[in-house]
Amino acid sequence: MSLAEVEADLSEDERAGLELVRQSGGIHQSDFWKELGVSSRKGSRIVESLVEKELVDREDAVYDGHNTYYIAPTARDLDFRLLMAGDMLSPFIGEEEVDANSDAFSQWIMNLAYED
Amino acid sequence: MAFEDLLEDPVIQKYLHELVGPKGMPVAAAPPEGEVTDEELAEELDLELNDVRRSLFILYENDLASYRRLRDEDSGWLTYLWTFEYDNIPENLESELHRLYEALSDRREYERTHEFYLCEICSIRFEFGEAMDFGFECPECGTPMDAMDNDRLVSSMDERIAALEDELNVGAEA
Repeated sequence: MSLAEVEADLSEDERAGLELVRQSGGIHQSDFWKELGVSSRKGSRIVESLVEKELVDREDAVYDGHNTYYIAPTARDLDFRLLMAGDMLSPFIGEEEVDANSDAFSQWIMNLAYED
Repeated sequence: MAFEDLLEDPVIQKYLHELVGPKGMPVAAAPPEGEVTDEELAEELDLELNDVRRSLFILYENDLASYRRLRDEDSGWLTYLWTFEYDNIPENLESELHRLYEALSDRREYERTHEFYLCEICSIRFEFGEAMDFGFECPECGTPMDAMDNDRLVSSMDERIAALEDELNVGAEA
């Protein structure tokens, strides 16, 4: 099943939770259920389900002095168009070293400044 | 075919093209489900075996394919069974976003702290010190250089850096 299909199958609460994680760019679990307006138990069930479906990442965190989780969007949700300048891809792809003064990067920056 | 949702993204298409080149694209753009041998791919896609192997090894070097080897008991030949690991593409591109962010930050600092001169005929840019060494005349064509304003470069870099900070939760805001 593709991710799009997985997403289409979400319950309303799960969908709202996923949206919250994406919009916030990352949120502590203790804030997650409050913002969502559900109980902490329900909040943790929603997170559990989203993690299992690989729609969000969860890691241990300490927040306000207590142990909680940090829920973040997965790499799939990133806007990869930020690698593009006009129709040119970041020149560092496929390169071992990043040279901020290379000619290829100068060209990329020119594209960025003068793309339509 | 597998990973269709990823392959719909034009940036991902471009990324694969950058890695394997035009000759490797038929292999990179149509990953089969499950395991496959290089020979099967070559036959299915009507490609030279060498081109198929070259693409597979590039994908392997970028964590986008893995293989296991089987030895044929009669002939003693090794067969490579390949699996495409395109689930790693988003993480790879995430680290490319971080690399780009670092480079842009370094380059912006350089652009802000240096003065530049330009030969408009040759479109060559010189740092102030270099330009002075050449007496502010282009070493290629002898035309007097003009002071060059890089505000537009810097402001477009500012914008992209801000967008990357927002997307990656790094830098000023984090």
